[in-house]
Amino acid sequence: MTSLLEVMERAFTGKPCTERDYDINIFSKKLKEIVKEYNIKYDPDNPVPSDNSVADNVFNAGFDFFCEVGSYFKDTGRVIQFSEDEIKKALKSAPSEIILGEGTDAKKFVSRKPESDVPPWCFLGAGGAPISSDEYLLKLVEAYAFIPLANSITIPSLTSVSGIRIRPGTPLEILGTIRNIVLAREALRRTGRPGLPIMNSLPTAQSSVGLISALHPKYGLRKSDGYLVAIIAELKTNFDLLNKVCILQNLGYGNGICGESGPVFGGFCGGAEGTVVTTIASHLMGLLLYNATWHLTFPIHLRYTSNSNPELLWVTSVYAQAISRNTHLLSAHLNYTAAGPGTIMCFREIAAQRLAAVSSGVSIESVGLGKAKHEDYLTPIEPRFAAEVASAAVGMKREEANEIVKELLSSYMKHISSPPLGYKYQECYDIRTGKPLDKCLRVYNDAKKELENLGLNL
Amino acid sequence: MEKLIENLRNAVVAYNKEAVIDLANEAVEKGFNPVEVIERGLAEGARIVGDKFDNLEIFLTELMLAAETMKAGINILLSELPNEKMAIKGTIIIGTVRGDIHDIGKSIIANLLIANGFNVYDLGVSVPSLKFIEEAEKVNADIIMLSALLTTSLEEQKDFLNYLNDTGKREKFIVIVGGGAATQEWAKEIKADGYAETATEGVKLAGHLMEKKRRCQI
Repeated sequence: MTSLLEVMERAFTGKPCTERDYDINIFSKKLKEIVKEYNIKYDPDNPVPSDNSVADNVFNAGFDFFCEVGSYFKDTGRVIQFSEDEIKKALKSAPSEIILGEGTDAKKFVSRKPESDVPPWCFLGAGGAPISSDEYLLKLVEAYAFIPLANSITIPSLTSVSGIRIRPGTPLEILGTIRNIVLAREALRRTGRPGLPIMNSLPTAQSSVGLISALHPKYGLRKSDGYLVAIIAELKTNFDLLNKVCILQNLGYGNGICGESGPVFGGFCGGAEGTVVTTIASHLMGLLLYNATWHLTFPIHLRYTSNSNPELLWVTSVYAQAISRNTHLLSAHLNYTAAGPGTIMCFREIAAQRLAAVSSGVSIESVGLGKAKHEDYLTPIEPRFAAEVASAAVGMKREEANEIVKELLSSYMKHISSPPLGYKYQECYDIRTGKPLDKCLRVYNDAKKELENLGLNL
Repeated sequence: MEKLIENLRNAVVAYNKEAVIDLANEAVEKGFNPVEVIERGLAEGARIVGDKFDNLEIFLTELMLAAETMKAGINILLSELPNEKMAIKGTIIIGTVRGDIHDIGKSIIANLLIANGFNVYDLGVSVPSLKFIEEAEKVNADIIMLSALLTTSLEEQKDFLNYLNDTGKREKFIVIVGGGAATQEWAKEIKADGYAETATEGVKLAGHLMEKKRRCQI
């Protein structure tokens, strides 16, 4: 474990360079060399490959890559690096399980392996998607908590507080954050699952000040919740993010710190090969810089801003196998669909993404619907479906997952660049009862039938 | 001249900055028409690079290198023009709005704009509204582009346009909004001049709005 003081020391004494130089001459240059050196090749025919040596090779490449390039500290213009020995020690001392939640809702988040019989941790809900009203937020969080497979919740992001739109870094962010967490806690209490952990801490609280405002012992986030600390793409951080780590560690919230990364396919990572290597390096960065006890990643396509296309499914599967075979890190994959809620394409994308991740050895966060972009375009039925598919994928052979994923891909890829927007929560659900409307339920049932026909036992 | 233009085009496609500098200097020495050299050599090379980026044959790093290469050539050739504005498509201020530190999408469009012959000032991330205006006035910008990836930072785009309106400066600039959180409907609601979902669309839109501006000025 590297102390935060040690990280800060290196933030002021590491090798100086401009951000442009880090991106082009360090990160990109070395990434290309490593991909070539390790002969990493994207396999378009197998989105869920089964060759263990591919995964192990990618892990070694990611490890070497992180040793070479470290992380860029934007505020001081320096590169923070760690030795091979330091990284190995951190990997060894990282937890292989943590307990999150309270009372009867407390559960153990444990590490998995490819084709494992151990169920994945199901972190369900909104994926931080925007929501327009307090009422919808309450109803949605209640519905998430009613999903029997939910181990933890990701709550939506309120876009306004008392009719005023939230602006980051202002008192409105603080007021919005407080309202967000108070409402979410109340929703969980109403469902009889008051101890269910909230693990997206919180989308409204972008700044460290926002995070502090959510840490109220009675109404706010708890020591048993999860805390996302972002890694800026690619492999970068800044003072405000380390402020979050410092607050969490020193106030006793360190149990739930997560290194959150979203390597961009098509950006500085280049193609699928560079993206998967960066995903491994991002896990190591979370561990070394943030002392993360768990990791959340969402490698994402630059153009589609989703991760259901073949290249990103391959990245998901290979990173998951690489991390789970070579470490005991707790890792979850967050899926973003291109299509919006209530559409058959959306369910197909979710199924492909969850099969790829769970059969390959990691846990899940689900789901960012329709790129998590449009206000109110989220419903509870898709995360429920994601957890059901994840559950059905427990113990599944990668070969089997690969065949189903290929079938699913062929059914939606032609629409990936112009996906359907789908429907708003209020168009899919009866707000009063919190139950899905027939049209929404029909698509869900159709999707389940399709998967059963493909051999999945739902 | 034909050979030089072809070499220039190829040098942009190969991100060969040194070769572009040499060729641009050669064009100046030989007295070739700088506008023609830019349009048929550099801009054509940039178009090829843009197509490759669109087809995911190249990625952000290569796009940045091509943009830097293009800019180096343009700077040499522009110095020969009596009115350098003749050859640039427009001056653009771009940045991610205050409170939002997302960089990659904005960097892509900034570099694609440079590669397509725009004069671009990238202000970086978490840029306050006043900074956008201050810089735009300083360089006499035609277009201001605002990126927002976070839902909560989207409101900054609206605040920016309100500020321009309230200070009587709205007519001075074309304002384009984009980023993961923005949508066409949002752009319409806040009365931006345009919205671009992708970097390529953003470049086309900027070109189109600049043409429109020029026509209005005529």
